[in-house]
Amino acid sequence: VSLAVRGGRSRVDSVIERVEALRRFLAAAQDHVPEPELAPARTVVDRAGQRLALSRDHTVVALAGTTGSGKSSLFNALSRRRLSKVGVRRPTTGIAHACVWGLESASTLLDWLGVPPNRRFLRDDPGAADDDPALRGLVLLDLPDLDSVERSHRLEVDRLLALVDLVVWVLDPQKYADRVVHEQYLAQFRGHRDITVVVLNQADLLTPVDAERCLADLRRLVDDDGLDGVPVLATSTVGAPGLARLQDLLERAVAARQAALRRLAGDVDAVVDDLAALVDRAPPADAVDRGAQRALADALAQAAGVPAVVAATRRAYVHRAGAAMGWPVLRWLRRLRPDPLRRLHLPSAGTRDNLPVPVSSLPGATPAQRASVGLAVRTVGERAGGGLPGPWPAATVSAARRRLDDLPDALDVAIARTDLGLGRTPFWWRIVGAVQWLCTLAAFAGLVWLAVRYALFALGLPELPGPRVGRLPLATLLLLGGLLAGLLLGALVRPLIGIGAGRARRRAQARLRASIGEVAGELVVEPVRTVLLAYGEARAALRSAR
Amino acid sequence: VELVRALTELREAIAATRYALPLPTADLAGDAASAIVAQLDDYLLPRLRRLDAPLLVVVGGSTGAGKSTLVNSLVRAPVSVTGVLRPTTRTPVLVCHPHDAPWFTESHLLPHLTRTTGVTVEGASLQVVSAPALRPGLAFLDAPDIDSVVDANRALAIQLLAAADLWLFVTTAARYADAVPWDLLQVARARGTTVALVLDRVPEGAAEQVAPHLAEMLAAYDLGGVPMFVLPETRLDGLGLLSEQLVAPLADWFGALASSAGARAGVVRQTVDGALRSLVPSIEGLAAAVDDQVAAVRALRSSAHAAYQSAQSTVEQGVRDGGLLRGEVLARWQELVGTGDAMRALQARVGRARDRIVAAITGRTVAGSQFQAAVEHGLITLVRSAAADAAEQAATAWRLHPAGAALLATERGRVDLAAPSPDLPQRVERLVRDWQRTVLDLVRTEAGNKRLIARASAYAVNATGLLVMISVFTATSFIPTGLEVAVAGGTTVAAQKVLEAIFGDQAVRELAERARSDLLHQVRTLLDTEEARFTAILDRAGVEAGTADRLRAAVDAVEQARRAAPLPDSPAVPLPPAPAGAGPTAPPASASAPPPSAPRPSAAPPSAAPAPAAARAPGQGGDGVAR
Repeated sequence: VSLAVRGGRSRVDSVIERVEALRRFLAAAQDHVPEPELAPARTVVDRAGQRLALSRDHTVVALAGTTGSGKSSLFNALSRRRLSKVGVRRPTTGIAHACVWGLESASTLLDWLGVPPNRRFLRDDPGAADDDPALRGLVLLDLPDLDSVERSHRLEVDRLLALVDLVVWVLDPQKYADRVVHEQYLAQFRGHRDITVVVLNQADLLTPVDAERCLADLRRLVDDDGLDGVPVLATSTVGAPGLARLQDLLERAVAARQAALRRLAGDVDAVVDDLAALVDRAPPADAVDRGAQRALADALAQAAGVPAVVAATRRAYVHRAGAAMGWPVLRWLRRLRPDPLRRLHLPSAGTRDNLPVPVSSLPGATPAQRASVGLAVRTVGERAGGGLPGPWPAATVSAARRRLDDLPDALDVAIARTDLGLGRTPFWWRIVGAVQWLCTLAAFAGLVWLAVRYALFALGLPELPGPRVGRLPLATLLLLGGLLAGLLLGALVRPLIGIGAGRARRRAQARLRASIGEVAGELVVEPVRTVLLAYGEARAALRSAR
Repeated sequence: VELVRALTELREAIAATRYALPLPTADLAGDAASAIVAQLDDYLLPRLRRLDAPLLVVVGGSTGAGKSTLVNSLVRAPVSVTGVLRPTTRTPVLVCHPHDAPWFTESHLLPHLTRTTGVTVEGASLQVVSAPALRPGLAFLDAPDIDSVVDANRALAIQLLAAADLWLFVTTAARYADAVPWDLLQVARARGTTVALVLDRVPEGAAEQVAPHLAEMLAAYDLGGVPMFVLPETRLDGLGLLSEQLVAPLADWFGALASSAGARAGVVRQTVDGALRSLVPSIEGLAAAVDDQVAAVRALRSSAHAAYQSAQSTVEQGVRDGGLLRGEVLARWQELVGTGDAMRALQARVGRARDRIVAAITGRTVAGSQFQAAVEHGLITLVRSAAADAAEQAATAWRLHPAGAALLATERGRVDLAAPSPDLPQRVERLVRDWQRTVLDLVRTEAGNKRLIARASAYAVNATGLLVMISVFTATSFIPTGLEVAVAGGTTVAAQKVLEAIFGDQAVRELAERARSDLLHQVRTLLDTEEARFTAILDRAGVEAGTADRLRAAVDAVEQARRAAPLPDSPAVPLPPAPAGAGPTAPPASASAPPPSAPRPSAAPPSAAPAPAAARAPGQGGDGVAR
């Protein structure tokens, strides 16, 4: 008889790496998957960490079973001492007992198992007549029953069964087919076939023929529980079949020192199988849909007031060009009208990165615009998570939305920081402005000259001789020519200003779109991408935990 | 008769009740309801029709407790199969005197079980065996176990126990503290079933400890008055029976019961009365479960409604200041009135100026960019987003509710409730187009009228202007120049246009208000159909509010009938006392195992020392019986 060992040594050796992989899976998934779905895996990882940190030379074997099946008798018989109380009053054992074979007392292990100190016994008498050197390293636990009216016993059993390395299920001819044992316990251990032993105790009560039939029936039930291959033995503490085969089996298990790792391997198998559905589809190749991103940028641009800023930029260009190149005599009139960009409280050339940005006076988004931003953000999340299983689509949508409240301010800052390209006065504005001034000065000079001449004439003084160009006096020419040239120049640059304004508008449009795109990337797409990365990591981690 | 009719009505009411929503109470209530219906069908109704029918003792208990062996030994014949493989008995076996056989074979009690006489067939069947060794008036039913891996056994055993006049509960020294049978004993106590208890297979020397402990446990579970018999673990004779000597106390007790019609009636009376009494709390439990269902439906409905209500108010907020809609109305107005581009700009400017003035006075800001003709896009987005948010919100609220989560899970295959219905975009577009059409109609009916007023007012103004002009002409000696005429005509036309623009703006505002309420109405209808996706599921679940009241009324009727017509009072004959000598007696089997076929006389006669608990007086719990 031997344990139903599956897989080779490598499967056991890799347990530590697999637990580590499971830990990586948890780290990747924990922010995106509801905690209840991860709780079993977390328990396994924690427990594995604790168990591996404790003595691996000890093998914790639990005797579990129904009340009255003779767990305590078996415990006493294996330890060859009367350690656990045996009785007819049911339920007999209420608190787990432990017996340790070997020199070390394994007290930290027993502390971890939660066996009270007064229930711990030590078999450390080497050389004694009843010494079992082959059992060195065995920690045998006598568990309370799992089916009596004392519900607390069941809780204690459930707690300890989650911790021990090997379980010997002790059944008896009267109770071997009880529902509670098979449905609620044995069937739950189908992932732990290689650390499960079933014994039919009190076999001495049956005739050998009946015992054979009973054992065969139990074998069938155990197979139905999904535990095929698990050793099923008949034992008796007082009569015929005896304990030799069980003892032999325990000796080999203790000698192999593999039970703890096998148990953890089984635990990891179980949770990995449960978790597989969470990451069973390949992540999408194109992480975040381009079309959805473009729609998002459009919606954000509308909501942030980009069209208004672009229009204001164009008008501001015209306004400022007028101020720089208009007819100097009437230029001041421009001052009476507000600068369109300044009305929006936007700087012309963007704010430098290290300076704080004042809030702009752009009108807030309308409900319709807000709604379209909401839709676009949701679409980005849904498209990204569309092909993913389980809770992940919800995670991508909520990741896309996570910073929705920060969006308006981030957009405002982005717009305020964008260089709209009106910061520098173009060179040709200066030249034209200077020419305008020259013209005006010429006209003014002509005017003054004419005024002087008029004054001389009025006072009856002799006329000053002045240069003439052709038949016209130079003063008149200066005045009229200056005025005419100014007006002409103003008319000539008008189409140029229009062209420049158009260019400024397009430039502002492109730059604002780029800034908005950055904001969308940072606040919406990046969180979604983080979720997708976490998915990929979780998937890879779970595969290596397999 | 009254009682039977009331019970039949109650049965119909219970059977008609569904617990559709998967609430924590629903499964329990469903099980309880089918158990009650089964008990009514299997036991109460047939028993009330014939109270003098033979007494049915159901022998029930754990697997391997020796129920079949006990029945065989009591009737002194191997009528029920025994063995070491668990569970042994799978088909219930009813043993009765030949005289009583017709009553049991005619399917009064347990009508759903087909009767067989010899061979066991699979399925719900009941094997009826006549045993002349039994006295008439009393029948034993060997029930399957209550706790083995075979689930069908457990269900059948519970059904049979509900049909018992007297439940002979068999347990063993190894089993007496098991949780499962004690749960059933609790049920029996709650139902008022008469119970007797056999502690079987007691090993040597264990009786002194086990029997008192069992008695303590019985007392702790409020079953202190139950008669208890203790039988030792022993070897069986050639027929697989316990020795006559061992079962003598039990056989005598049943013999006394069978021979006394009064005692039998007392047992029946107590069990029936207890069962009727227990109906009140259990039906109240069912009614409470129905109430839970109704409350859950209401909660789910209101959370869905709240979500869509908030969607509606989002849309209302979106179109509140009217600019969005006025653009639409204005455009339609201008198209209908057929104004030129100059007029169009003038009218728009009038509206904008008015908004500015209002804004300047009230301090509210003007959302100038809303004043655009591209209303379709904005409206569609607004409604779609509101509907999507509402669907998600409602689904989230449902997910937090246990019943809601389960409903969502069952619906997942067909529709995704967390997303709006797939044809929503088309429906919203349709809605907006329909709305635009109504706006068009509205403008069409209103426009002519308003324009007339505008014209009339303009004429009035013009008339005044004319008068002024005439007086001017008088002053200039009636020399009208062509220029003056042209100026007069021009001002007239201009005044009319400006006034039309002003009056038109007012009309547009009024129409926009009406268009708004019309739009909101249509949106409401759309959101209602979206909400109906949620409420339809609740409606399909078919939870009726009146069911709980019907259950309560039916059980009240039963209770009244029970009070009005008490069961025929039996002569006050108590159950025969459990004999004192029923203690564990036989010496244990030796460890060496002789083949079971070797008849092993259970050697020792009943010892003089009785088991302490076995001497317990069987004070009967039922009122009137013990007196």
